[in-house]
Amino acid sequence: MAGTRTEKIWRFVLAGPLVLLATLIIMAGSSLWLPAGQAQVNNFVIPVVLLPAIWAVLFFYSVLDRLGRASVVIIILTAVHAALIAQHLLQAQQ
Amino acid sequence: MLKLQQKTTQTMLALHGWGAVIFGLLLYWVILTGTIAVFADDINDWASPLPAAIPETLPLGTDAMLRKAAADVAPEYLDELTVFATAGGRIRAFFHTHAEAVDGEHPEEEGVLFVFDPASGDILQRFEGTQSEIEAQSHYGKLGHFLVEWHVQLHVPSPWGLMLTGILGMSLLVACVSGFAMHRHLIKDAFLRRRRGGDVLSHKDAHVMASTWNLPFAFILAFTGSFYSLAGAFAIPAIAMVAFGGDQVKLIETVQGLPPAEDRRPAEMANIDTMLEDVRAAGHRTRFLTVDHWGRQDARISVFPWQAEGELLPKGYAFDAQTGENLGEKPALGQSPSLGSDLVALMGPLHFGNFAGWLSKTVWFALGFAGAYVCISGLALWVKRREQQKTWQYLLRATLWSAWGLPLALVAAAAAYLLQQAGVLAGAVEPLMFKAFGLCLALSGILAGIVRRVTGVRRILVISLGLGLCALVALRLLLGGPGWVSAATGGLTAVVVLDVALLLGGAWLLRREWRQTQALPEGSLIDTGDMEVNTP
Repeated sequence: MAGTRTEKIWRFVLAGPLVLLATLIIMAGSSLWLPAGQAQVNNFVIPVVLLPAIWAVLFFYSVLDRLGRASVVIIILTAVHAALIAQHLLQAQQ
Repeated sequence: MLKLQQKTTQTMLALHGWGAVIFGLLLYWVILTGTIAVFADDINDWASPLPAAIPETLPLGTDAMLRKAAADVAPEYLDELTVFATAGGRIRAFFHTHAEAVDGEHPEEEGVLFVFDPASGDILQRFEGTQSEIEAQSHYGKLGHFLVEWHVQLHVPSPWGLMLTGILGMSLLVACVSGFAMHRHLIKDAFLRRRRGGDVLSHKDAHVMASTWNLPFAFILAFTGSFYSLAGAFAIPAIAMVAFGGDQVKLIETVQGLPPAEDRRPAEMANIDTMLEDVRAAGHRTRFLTVDHWGRQDARISVFPWQAEGELLPKGYAFDAQTGENLGEKPALGQSPSLGSDLVALMGPLHFGNFAGWLSKTVWFALGFAGAYVCISGLALWVKRREQQKTWQYLLRATLWSAWGLPLALVAAAAAYLLQQAGVLAGAVEPLMFKAFGLCLALSGILAGIVRRVTGVRRILVISLGLGLCALVALRLLLGGPGWVSAATGGLTAVVVLDVALLLGGAWLLRREWRQTQALPEGSLIDTGDMEVNTP
């Protein structure tokens, strides 16, 4: 985790609060594209069960990969799921 | 053998070490209390036994007890009923409703709690009010509850406590993954133990050996524990908001099914004893039951047993409340079997180790204990590597305080429970347990801070714990608890087994301390004592 002071601070922010936020958004957003199954529960139950795994994968990726690439990948994943959630909630309101 | 780049190994080492330094002590608290809480029900049975063991949870006669209670509550409290076993096999029946606040929220359950002696059918206790008012007055089962609350949320109010333990669970997950990645020789590490008189290598070997054996279990506990904490704290509300647009009714209908059309006409309830026998006939031991709308046409009854022999996943059965007909199994979630429901159901047995009675619980206890040891030995190793830096000696003192002060404080809380139960201490039991726990923890903390030699801190705390464990048994007997002969003849297994375990544990600590005192050279200043992982 070597680098300049700014890189270290960004790495800390990315691996800490941003990964937590990303986990929450990806988990919630996954419920919109995962198949619901016959019982209509898989789409929202499986992401909750896998929540620790989602966080762990994002966390280790954020600390082990190159800082720039890790930031871009995590931000894109989060943005895509956030957009899905926003679209779904807007549709529900109409 | 894992081959990692040097930079990756350094990152893993930093995550492992600093994660442990930041979260290690609290993690130890959560792991140790969780380990003891594996036997929470048995501890409750030990602390508040009935004269003779109750062979079945919710035995024959439960139906009559519930009918007697139902006739003694306001009609609105017949809305929902949950029936559990509590300390000593007593039956705890909570008739309640969800009091609607003006703003449409569901602030708290409100109703009447009955505690029955299943042998006689007598009502032992009756409390009325909101759930928190009732819980403040009730007594049975509070010792186990006190332990469980430490484990679940460190007695910090929800959702903050759950978030805290969730973060601790995730830090354990990081420790497991980074520890695994750093193991250069996984098989060799599981057996290598060099004894070289307390140097860093022998400390490291013992820590690595214990953690290698414990790794799969620690990973499972970290994963399932994080799930339980984070799901309750924010994951379920967040996903309900997204998947159901905040529509709680729709969420409940999806998970529990559409409720039957409301029909408030009175109806005779079928015999609940027959339903419980029906579940037992399928090879299950009954665990708890719920009733919706007691005495109405739209009543629903569900019985939830322990897993039958050879089963891993728990299940539930639905019954027709008027005819008593078994309507079949209820999935944990949803109205038909699903992968999601099975995964959720799997979390419980994996985390609690309650799928094969005493056997699986003993294995979970032993592995949990090993996890607690790994926490403490890891912190001791960290300090050992920085032996010359005086600042880290404070961490060693804090580690010793946690390692021995926490179990000592739990013993003090248990003593307060017994004294309150016997009428020696007046007042509600939970505040008394907190006072005893806090006082003992504060005293041991002061001791850990002021005793000049680290060796002395450990010595005093270990001897106190050893004596405390033995004294707890003596206190239970002195306060009128059943003796060993009457406990054995009454089938009170938990009383006999836990008494023996406490005495053996206490004697072992005292003997171990005595032997270490004999072995240590006079004037040893930086002694990590029982933190020393190479001691016999």
